[in-house]
Amino acid sequence: MRGPDVVWYLCVAAFLFSIGALGVLIRRSPLIILLSLEIMLNGANLALIAFARHYGQGAGQIFAITVMAVAASEVVVGLGLIVAISRRHLELDVDKLSTLRG
Amino acid sequence: MIAAAWTCLISPLVATALITVSGNRLSRRGAGFLSTFSVFVSFVGAVVAFVALLGDSPSHRYHPSTLWSWLTAGQLDFGLRIVVDPLSVMMMLIVSGVGMLIVLYSIGYMDGDDEERRYFAYMALFVFSMLLLVQGGNLLMLLVGWGLVGLSSYLLIGFWHERPEAIAAAKKAFVMNAIGDATMALALFLLIEKTGSLNFEQVFLAAPSFSNWTANLVALGLLGGAVAKSAQLPLQTWLPDAMEGPTPVSALIHAATMVTAGVYLIVRTAPLFEQAPKVLELAAGLGAGTLLMAGLIALVQTDIKKVIAYSTMSQIGYMFLGAGIGAYPDAMFHLMTHAFFKALLFLAAGIVIHSLSAEQDIRKMGGLRKLMPLTFVAFLVGSLSLAGIPPFSGFFSKDSILASLLANGWYGEILWVAGMIGTFLTGLYAFRLLFIVFLGEPSPFVREHFHALKRDLPGLSMAIPVGVLTILAAFGGWIQFADVWTPITDWLSPVAAPIVEASGTQEAVSSVIAVLLGLGGIGLAWMLYGARTSEVPRIAWAQTLLQKKFYFDEAYDFAFYRPAVWLSKALARWIERPLVFGSVRELAEGIGLLGRDTSRIQTGLVRTYAFAIAASVAVVTLVFVAVR
Repeated sequence: MRGPDVVWYLCVAAFLFSIGALGVLIRRSPLIILLSLEIMLNGANLALIAFARHYGQGAGQIFAITVMAVAASEVVVGLGLIVAISRRHLELDVDKLSTLRG
Repeated sequence: MIAAAWTCLISPLVATALITVSGNRLSRRGAGFLSTFSVFVSFVGAVVAFVALLGDSPSHRYHPSTLWSWLTAGQLDFGLRIVVDPLSVMMMLIVSGVGMLIVLYSIGYMDGDDEERRYFAYMALFVFSMLLLVQGGNLLMLLVGWGLVGLSSYLLIGFWHERPEAIAAAKKAFVMNAIGDATMALALFLLIEKTGSLNFEQVFLAAPSFSNWTANLVALGLLGGAVAKSAQLPLQTWLPDAMEGPTPVSALIHAATMVTAGVYLIVRTAPLFEQAPKVLELAAGLGAGTLLMAGLIALVQTDIKKVIAYSTMSQIGYMFLGAGIGAYPDAMFHLMTHAFFKALLFLAAGIVIHSLSAEQDIRKMGGLRKLMPLTFVAFLVGSLSLAGIPPFSGFFSKDSILASLLANGWYGEILWVAGMIGTFLTGLYAFRLLFIVFLGEPSPFVREHFHALKRDLPGLSMAIPVGVLTILAAFGGWIQFADVWTPITDWLSPVAAPIVEASGTQEAVSSVIAVLLGLGGIGLAWMLYGARTSEVPRIAWAQTLLQKKFYFDEAYDFAFYRPAVWLSKALARWIERPLVFGSVRELAEGIGLLGRDTSRIQTGLVRTYAFAIAASVAVVTLVFVAVR
């Protein structure tokens, strides 16, 4: 069990998560937002695996695999939505998709 | 016998259902014949039941029959129950027999009306309701029939629904009757509470053990119903207005169904009334008051049907007199003869109206005797019977009621005087009508508008019932001649034995005086309206009083209608608008505002949502960290 301390891993995970979150908040294209979401998820995964390794238990790894599965299905749905939007010849800009405004 | 009675009851209902369901597939005249046939079947059923009942010994003439349990609640169990006994069979015969003639007459009278089928469906329903009322084997069935009679009368009085007066009259009849229905229902509730049943046997068996209060309240409640249905004081105002319906309907209401129901009720529940003698006396007093009042008002009426309507009120007053002093068979006997001559008068008046293009104002009529001699004879027989002139039927029944009054102490004697004055008035108004309409030379209006009945099917369907009723009105009273032969009293005595019996002398004295007074009334009418040898005295206030019908409508308007309207307006203004409307509106507006404000949070921008989530997560994390 050699290698850097768990803190480093967590720092990288937090960094990844923040990059993803910023991407979600700032970018307008739904495609990029989906990508950023993936980055956020992977940040979380990294944290999970780091903890799993740190404590020597398998639960974190299993959880990470579950998150990947969920992420895959989420991408399917998200991309499907994007394809549906572009099929209707709408602009791919989340700020324009605001029909649900109260 | 039981099967015959059920057939009698169900047949008109089947006709109603058939006419309603078949719609255009049934021709208009077909509906009329179906309706008549169904009532004819009822009549046959009633006759069969009557003959079967004759075979029993008098004390065993009581046959209840329950089809199934109709209403069950806790300990209570009301069956769909009819009872066949002398009283119900007598009523069945009258209702279906006279009813059949009237429905047959309607085929001609309503010929060509736009909604004949609806009319005949209602007529059959009316007969069914009345049969249910008289055959009902417990007070609940009686009340159901009672209510249905009210409903059918509402439907038929308002039959010409494009006329606002007809609708108003129908509503008035319904509301007035509803008052009676309510008091009757209250009486039934009290009976259920005290006896746990509404079957006649149980209730009558328990009646002697009632406390004074209970007995009086029950009797008062039932009397309220009887007074409303029979148009007696003080609930009489609906009856003259009910003349807005077609003439055969008036005949049906007045002769076979509806108004006689009150008398039937008193006779049927006599054991209950006898526990409350004061209420019985009240019934007799109301009858006397009504017969005088109606007789007076009839003197000034100018509508041919309204004169007859007031004469009905007056004659029902006699029946109440009879029932109120306990001369039940006499009351029932008068009910029967009255059904004959009143149906006759209405149907004959209907022919007059029909021949004069629906004109009902007697001031425009005159001299019809030469144009329609047969109708004149029918009308004459009806009027003589109404005035109680021997040997016509009214004489026998009315005089036995009057004689029974003499056998009833000082109260009876007062009522007897009222009845005698009524007899005089009856002769006067009946023959005023007859002389004005039929005697003299034909008036210009008559000459212009008269067209005789044709000898085709509609014409004959009107002529035949009038002929049959003329014979019945002339000779129907011979069934019973007080003190000599009394089949009706004997027949009814197992159900409603009379508690007063007039002696032979009283009968004789009373009859002679009554006939003399009746003849006096006719004589006066002859002088005033026939020979016109003397003038009608002009007393302005009296005429106004009578034309305004003793201001009953105005009094009710003042006492009930206006306060009710005033109260509703006040409530609307001071309670509803500020409190109910105000609170509701404020509440709704408040919630609406809240919704508008909160909806601003929902921008539709995904990024703001994401930011909100991220920011709140950050805040929550910071809080957790800080708290630790």
